[in-house]
Amino acid sequence: MPEALLLKPDRKFVEEVIDAGGGDLKKCYQCATCSVVCGLSNEPSPFPRKEMIWAQWGLKDRLISDPDIWLCHQCNDCSLRCPRGARPGDVMAAIRQKAIEHYAFPSVMGRLVNSARAIPVMLLLVPALLIAGALLVRGPIEAAFNYVDPHGHEFYAHFFPHWLLIAFYTSLTLLTFGGLIVGLFRFWGGMKANDAALGKGAPILGFIPSTIKALMALLTHDRFGSCTDQASRKPAHFMAFYGFIALFIVTTWAVIDIYVMPYLGVATLYPFGLLHPMKILANVGGVLLIVGAGRAILTRKSAPKDGYHQSTTFDWVFVWLLLLVGISGFIVEIFRFVAEGAAGAEAYASGFATPAYAFYFMHLVLVFGLLVYLPYSKFAHMWYRLAAMIYGEHTGRTGPGKQLVKVDLS
Amino acid sequence: MEKKLAVYLCRGCDIGGALDMSALKDVATDEYKIELCHEHDCLCGDEGRELIAKDVNDGVNSVVVAACSPRFMTDVFTFDNVLTTRVNLREQVVWSHEANDEDTDMMAQDYLRMGIVRGQQAELPEPLEEEVDRTVMVVGGGATGLTAALDAAAAGNDVVIIEKEAQLGGWMSKWAKGIPHEAPYTAPQALDIVDQVAAVEANDKITVHTGAVIEKVAGMPGQFDVTLKGNGSEPFRVGSIVQATGWKPYDANKLGHLGYGISADVVTNVQMEEMLAAGKVIRPSDGKAPERIAFIQCAGSRDQDHLPYCSGVCCRVSIKQALMVREMSPETEAYVLYKDIRSPGQYESCYQKAQEDTGIFFTKAEVTGVTNGGGSLKVAAEDTLLGENVQLEADLVVLATGMVPRSADGELIRQYVDAKAVVAKGEEGAQLENAKVQVEELAYLEDAEILNLTYRQGPDLPTFKYDFPDSHFICFPYESRRTGIYPAGCVRAPLDGQAAKEDGSGAALKAVQALEVTAKGQAVHPRWGDMSFPDFALQRCTQCKRCTEECPFGTINEDEKGTPQPNLTRCRRCGICMGACPERIISFKDYSPGIIGNMIKAVEVPDEYDEKPRLLGLLCENDAYPALDAAGLKRIQHSKWIRFVPVRCLGSVNTVWIADALSSGFDGVLLIGCKSGDDYQCHFIKGSELMETRSGNVQEKLKQLALEEERVQIVQLPLNEFEKLPEIVNEFSDEIEDIGLNPFKGF
Repeated sequence: MPEALLLKPDRKFVEEVIDAGGGDLKKCYQCATCSVVCGLSNEPSPFPRKEMIWAQWGLKDRLISDPDIWLCHQCNDCSLRCPRGARPGDVMAAIRQKAIEHYAFPSVMGRLVNSARAIPVMLLLVPALLIAGALLVRGPIEAAFNYVDPHGHEFYAHFFPHWLLIAFYTSLTLLTFGGLIVGLFRFWGGMKANDAALGKGAPILGFIPSTIKALMALLTHDRFGSCTDQASRKPAHFMAFYGFIALFIVTTWAVIDIYVMPYLGVATLYPFGLLHPMKILANVGGVLLIVGAGRAILTRKSAPKDGYHQSTTFDWVFVWLLLLVGISGFIVEIFRFVAEGAAGAEAYASGFATPAYAFYFMHLVLVFGLLVYLPYSKFAHMWYRLAAMIYGEHTGRTGPGKQLVKVDLS
Repeated sequence: MEKKLAVYLCRGCDIGGALDMSALKDVATDEYKIELCHEHDCLCGDEGRELIAKDVNDGVNSVVVAACSPRFMTDVFTFDNVLTTRVNLREQVVWSHEANDEDTDMMAQDYLRMGIVRGQQAELPEPLEEEVDRTVMVVGGGATGLTAALDAAAAGNDVVIIEKEAQLGGWMSKWAKGIPHEAPYTAPQALDIVDQVAAVEANDKITVHTGAVIEKVAGMPGQFDVTLKGNGSEPFRVGSIVQATGWKPYDANKLGHLGYGISADVVTNVQMEEMLAAGKVIRPSDGKAPERIAFIQCAGSRDQDHLPYCSGVCCRVSIKQALMVREMSPETEAYVLYKDIRSPGQYESCYQKAQEDTGIFFTKAEVTGVTNGGGSLKVAAEDTLLGENVQLEADLVVLATGMVPRSADGELIRQYVDAKAVVAKGEEGAQLENAKVQVEELAYLEDAEILNLTYRQGPDLPTFKYDFPDSHFICFPYESRRTGIYPAGCVRAPLDGQAAKEDGSGAALKAVQALEVTAKGQAVHPRWGDMSFPDFALQRCTQCKRCTEECPFGTINEDEKGTPQPNLTRCRRCGICMGACPERIISFKDYSPGIIGNMIKAVEVPDEYDEKPRLLGLLCENDAYPALDAAGLKRIQHSKWIRFVPVRCLGSVNTVWIADALSSGFDGVLLIGCKSGDDYQCHFIKGSELMETRSGNVQEKLKQLALEEERVQIVQLPLNEFEKLPEIVNEFSDEIEDIGLNPFKGF
């Protein structure tokens, strides 16, 4: 028998969730329609019903360590059916944002990246200054180490050499990724502590099989298939997801090609030509990213007020970043091919250089926002959700066939 | 006046095609030698009515109309100064039996015989003539009473208000704000009780007695003589009474399990109201402002050990109080722990408003205890919406206690007084022991009287479930078991201010109506307009007191010897006294042991060789008779052996009818009345129950005659189960056929 819960309402947290998009959470009167219509909800204490009452009472510890907020894929079937207009789907989204902020390491980053007022500074000014700073120290560093960049003749490398690019982004990304790892560990611990307090959470499946099952669910997006009213969200998310994966693979390969292959005696092929398999993968990935993110934006923009998810700054920043990274990437690529075609390898001296480098700079700023801030922005949902899905399989919280009642929503 | 009787047979609505009309006519003309007997194709049409009117003009003063049920075309067949007897050939004969059948014809003929007998023997009732004072007395000067007073005055009646406190206004005048009563129903709203008090004080039709209670109410509707004590006023007369004595909070001292008494910081909602009215909510223990207030709903309500019912207002009151506290001090948090939030209708908006406040927290919960804990209170609860047992810390706990009616059970007080008299007499025996126990048990009724009626059956309205004065509100709104006295407001049911006012209006109109119909010499609910009244042939009375004891309405007082003293404007004309009287000295002009007995005897009982049983059905005309009509309308068939006689109430059935029926060869008697019990449907409260009691005597008689006890059966039929009635009749008929014919047939 678990001990009685000492209810100490955290009003501040209630207000924060309200501000983060859960504005209607207090309207809930616990009828459980949400959990009944939810295609993903689990037994015996189904979401999002319990999250609604926890949110009303400001039970922050419960909510931020709740795996169920991540098992929700935000189809908003619940919000559409809520008789009270409490929008459980939006409340769950707001709680997820608060969870990302809570687990952010260092925590100041969580607050800064998601503060609406700090967005211009954090997303534009900080990366721009850092990148400009990197450019400024490039000459002195090369001089100090007496380094001649073998790729220095390439179009963009001439402006922003590969070594600097890799040093700059890899270090910063790894740095914040370390923060993400810390956050995920804490999240895992929180989930366990929560379940322990409730007398639940005994493991029923090993960690490795759980991870495999969760990854399969992630790769196939099968959970998204449970959404009924906004089924179009699945292909959009699917495209953006795989577009991003493709681009991540290409980027990683490029680094390997440039800095590892030569040591193996294989001549670098970089920069890849248009028909190089990696370039093809990159272009396909870019198109998927743009179409996926673009569709997501259109869906969000056209969402009717009733029931459908009302996007917050947190959402908009992320989807726009995805789209703009894709678009700016293609612009930059076009400039490169046009410039190379017109002026050969020395194109940087030509008239294309100034606009091309300007766009490249912008692209770098956007990529910074996407990658370096990943653990603190909505992008982090990928990792927290994966962690929750693994935990869910691990403790028997999820799984097909655990749905409460199949409701015909037609 | 000499009777001149005429019979009219209608052929319309399938009657003519289903019956042997000439044989039927022969019953009137040959058997009963009625000269005037007409047939018509449509008696209720202009031509048909004209036909009767012509005879009435020629001196006919008793018409027997054999056509449809008396529940239809009542106006058409009503003529001034003429006794109309209806014979129900349509619903209960041709629509519920085989057409052109010997037995159907026999049935129609029997019904006509009964109709003719009634037409011959019943008299046209004459109105009761009593003086009627049209003053309405309102007891209680709260929201209900003030509304009742204003409305009765607006209807043109003089009004007297009796208020025991020094000022008018009641509970609502003590509060800062009420639950919202106007759109958008979202915020606590100022009360308009002050305006009502001012309007009452400015109204010259209304006399106000404050600081006064009732010493005595003697008399009967139209003639209540009231004596007050407390303010030195002269006795006065009123016609009818609205009892708006309101409510008191449930005694929180019984709520120790919810922490009442363990700390001064556990208060009731009434104490909270007082603090809000004073403009300062504090912890009584240290005078500090509470930061966390827990409202415990249903404190003692919906609890079998305390108040089993829902008071219906506490949820809204706590929501209002939480909103008021939050407005006064935005840092304060309010926790509302409820069993179910009950905020019906527009009040839902107020609940929603409170719900949206981030400082007001709601959960369903069963509170299991409130304890002291380090400077604050700890509230423990289970069965919460959070899915687990919880504990809450609070600086102030508000118990939402329910409403208890300010009523006094007159009949119980009477028992108490009787028991005290037995004890005072001090005679030895078991009776004394019983009385002593009763005196102890009922000691709480000492000085409990409110109206102080000089009624044989006790000084106040009898109460029923949960101490509310009896009223089946759905069927009989505002009615009590004392004619001309109407309970209203929270004494009748727990209500909020608005509903209590509406209740005051309703009861005031009832009180005014009662005076109007009484002045016309007519009965009030449920026999509206009936002008017959009971006549007591007292020279034959044996002072058995059955009539005085059984009258559900306290109509009959008795003198020291036990001779009944009827107060006829209290009477509802149910005939229960008539059914009770073993000497059969009570009768109505159109309803008496003799008339009904002779109608029963008019039925031709075939002898044993015909093998045609005859059953008598005594049918309550309030619910069972309409039910049989309804079944007929649906063409549901019932046994051809039965003959029904409508009775005013099963309680009005005198057992002599049953005995006579059996000795004249009937094979069985079926009595069909209304539902009794807690949710009774009997229009006269206890008719079916009384019949059950009396049937004990009947069964004894059956035993003496060596007859099977199944031959007399009592059935209680809820009106909504009318379709079962033919089935009940048929089952009874089958059972009697199985038992066999009455061996006394033909003797």
